[in-house]
Amino acid sequence: MSVQETSTDAQDDLVVQVRVNGESRRGFAEPRTLLSDFLRHELGLTGTHVGCEHGVCGACTVLIDGEPVRSCLMFAVQAGGKEIETVEGLAKGAEMHPIQQAFQENHALQCAFCTPGFLMTVSALLDTNPDPSEDEIREYLSGNVCRCTGYVGIVAAVQSAAKKLRDQGGTADER
Amino acid sequence: MSVDAKPTATLPQYVGARVLRVEDPEFLMGRAKYLDDITLPDMLHAAFVRSPVPHAEIVNVDIEAAQALDGVVAIYTAADIEANTTGPFVTALPRDEIMPVTRPLLASDRVRFVGEPIAVIVATSRYIAEDAAALVEIDFKDLGVVTNAEHGLTEDAVQLHDDVPGNNIAHIEFDSGDVDRVFDEAPHVFSKRFHIGRVTAAPLEGRGVIANYNPGADHLTIWSSTQMPHFARTLLAGTLGMAEKKMRVIAPAVGGGFGVKSCLFPEEAVIPVASRLLSRPVKWAEDRQEALSSSAHAKEIIMDLDIAVDDEGTFLAFRGNYVGDAGAYAIFPWTSLVDPLLAADVVAGIYDVRHVSYKVDSVLTNKCPAGPYRATGQTGGYLLRDSLIDDIARAMDIDPVELRLKNCIGNEPYVTATGFRYDGGSYAESIRKVCDMIGYDKLREEQAELRKEGRYLGIGVAPYVEPTAWGSKSAQKHGFPAEFYDSASVTVEPDGSVNVTVGTQSHGQGHVTSLAQVAADQLGVRLEDVKVLDSDSDTAVYGAGTFMSRTAVVSGGSIMRAAADVRERILALAGQELEVNPSDLEISNSTITVKGSPGKSMTVAEVSAVAYFGGERRGEVETLTSTRYYDPPETYSNGVIAAVVEVDVETGHVKMRHFAAVEDCGTMLNPMIIEGQVAGALAQGVGIALLENAVYDEQGQFNTASLMDYLYPSSNEVPTMDLAHLVTPSDVSEGGIKGMGEGGLVGSPVAVVNAVADALSPFGVTINSTPLRPADVLAKIEAAQAGNGGR
Repeated sequence: MSVQETSTDAQDDLVVQVRVNGESRRGFAEPRTLLSDFLRHELGLTGTHVGCEHGVCGACTVLIDGEPVRSCLMFAVQAGGKEIETVEGLAKGAEMHPIQQAFQENHALQCAFCTPGFLMTVSALLDTNPDPSEDEIREYLSGNVCRCTGYVGIVAAVQSAAKKLRDQGGTADER
Repeated sequence: MSVDAKPTATLPQYVGARVLRVEDPEFLMGRAKYLDDITLPDMLHAAFVRSPVPHAEIVNVDIEAAQALDGVVAIYTAADIEANTTGPFVTALPRDEIMPVTRPLLASDRVRFVGEPIAVIVATSRYIAEDAAALVEIDFKDLGVVTNAEHGLTEDAVQLHDDVPGNNIAHIEFDSGDVDRVFDEAPHVFSKRFHIGRVTAAPLEGRGVIANYNPGADHLTIWSSTQMPHFARTLLAGTLGMAEKKMRVIAPAVGGGFGVKSCLFPEEAVIPVASRLLSRPVKWAEDRQEALSSSAHAKEIIMDLDIAVDDEGTFLAFRGNYVGDAGAYAIFPWTSLVDPLLAADVVAGIYDVRHVSYKVDSVLTNKCPAGPYRATGQTGGYLLRDSLIDDIARAMDIDPVELRLKNCIGNEPYVTATGFRYDGGSYAESIRKVCDMIGYDKLREEQAELRKEGRYLGIGVAPYVEPTAWGSKSAQKHGFPAEFYDSASVTVEPDGSVNVTVGTQSHGQGHVTSLAQVAADQLGVRLEDVKVLDSDSDTAVYGAGTFMSRTAVVSGGSIMRAAADVRERILALAGQELEVNPSDLEISNSTITVKGSPGKSMTVAEVSAVAYFGGERRGEVETLTSTRYYDPPETYSNGVIAAVVEVDVETGHVKMRHFAAVEDCGTMLNPMIIEGQVAGALAQGVGIALLENAVYDEQGQFNTASLMDYLYPSSNEVPTMDLAHLVTPSDVSEGGIKGMGEGGLVGSPVAVVNAVADALSPFGVTINSTPLRPADVLAKIEAAQAGNGGR
């Protein structure tokens, strides 16, 4: 049971237990608490950003059981027991993931508020399609909004990251 | 666009190199802290109660039910805020034509737009604060509305502010040359009206404020998602009645600004008041509905232009009229003139015209206040003038590129009829270059071929001159009499590493990298030895902030001056140590060497050790730190945008096929960052031309309060781009640097609009408004076919 009633005096708070970036984490949530708020403010994982709170901008994208999901459109309690991946889990210590490296090398970020959402979406894309065409990249990323870059650097970064990962012979997950 | 990054260690100099951004890893790892990522012990959360109606008297505010909600700590209304501040925001400029406009921090007796804040709830969580906000009951008495700027000027229009009779914040007239005579005698006069749609900058991170008042120290720390932390402190000190030394303003990581965060908003004063009253930290993070309805709108102007032309197509005179839609208040502190006045005063552009006149009005309406958004004013001014120039080209059967080249100024410095001194550029050359890039002649052939198949390709080419480096001179020349102060400090630390601080603020522009490139070159040290710090009034030296393409010039110039001082001191100390004349020394790669004797050298770290711990060995040499200011002369970048589109005349859909752009911003600090700025501005131009519109209905209700209604361009709407550079260093600024970042949005909307008009020229369509959504395009085609030119 991953969601349970609690004995705290906060009237409707529930304990939510999830795995985030490979670690077991638990925290309190009201039934109405958004997963994005739970990750950010209860677990302190503020790398996941909130741009619209109505599922359009994609900034809050995380992976749940490997699938890209808008964490502002889901309640924390719905994520109970699930495997969640956030931007904090991409790098290994100070070593950036090849997708992150490609973003830096191709100037794919400016203000970077949208960047964590893009990174997670790209991670999902390259997991399922290791050699996407430019059209496929643009289509797949069209649910993530960037207000700064005009997408030029982002598209180039995805192409570069795909090549890096193919050259390494791994997927976005298993490098 | 390809990024050909080189390892910095091997570079002979950093300025001009595609240095990768040193700040990126922190952002990419999700470790950067934006406003809402900051949590303080004992922190409370605020939500604003906002007006659901556009213009009404507030009859009664009932907070009883909200106050009773468990978790609500305090509710403040206008009276509480008024009692704890020195007064409302009064937006004014020292010009006789301009009426001061007063904006209450919270509305007391009257609301003037949907979304205006009326009360603030402070609670133990944001969820509870929002619950409580929904429980506040307000009785309103309807006052009628103004939703169109021209209607606002009519005699029977509803009046918004008792002290601004006629709803007009300013009526400004400019006349240079002999405009009326030239029009009377001209063989051809072409005229056009254009209504640029209302938009909003809408950075992906909204506004937000955390205030933490410490009663023991009588000290207030404010975190604000702002482009101008130091200047915000100065303005807030006045409103809050506190000394600046008791206030620290920090801009944390800021998720985009584009001008909207260069304003000071009532919320930035109200949250500190709440913290002061409660002696606890209080956070407010704006939601998207608030961002769209209540931050700042931009760009809406109803404009008319006449151009007098001779038989050969030479432009003889421009005569314009610009009615800006200010919204309900004049944005603080810049005024609502940032749109209509800048739209008007850039009317000359690259064109050699000596007879220019314009009239400007800035009209109050019951809408969200209008403020600066990238290429403020200029986007509209260019849409009007350059779409009319394409109309003229069609009417006179001259190629639109040829017509522009015919009227283009030369490359040398030039003073416009409006009094601006351009510091040299590549005005005609950039047009030729962009045409080469897109294969202009071949595209024209393709266009003719496709038309035979019933397909409609269009090309739009828009050259621009971008006023940059907004300091005292630029501001005054463009009609905004104000003085600016911007500075930088350069300090060599005991170990030889270098801390640089500036009063500008980076919110995506990569200043931490590009300004470090300037400092490293000027000092002769390695880039990795330099850190640039901004965005904190306690730790970085004072400046006015980042807006109007100013930072490369004002901070770059300040750093060059301060670093020159420090370099001189390093050389003086090294000269003493090495017993040679400092003029025989050079610094490179953080090492001082003696010209002609390669064996003799010292590192900057060794010199610094002497400076800090060398005791009497220091001699008379001053500290290895300097703070200098720089208030630059006017500088102007230039460039050209070319847009290629295909229009589906059955559906009205405009498919962006390609952009090409040439940018000339003088000495380039980092071409990679410059290209990023251009690309982002072009994408925003797609939004303005084709998608984005902040819509009010006739009753003044706001209809586009979500991103389902207010459409950002996505990766499917923004096309591929080909970006190139020309370099004409400024003849007046430090280092020949010109500002950049906005030019792409000066030129791209009209490039797209002209491409659409070009595509639809077989139908006789005239385009006189934005955005061009499919329904708008179809309506224009139908209107043209009905015989009235698409109006």
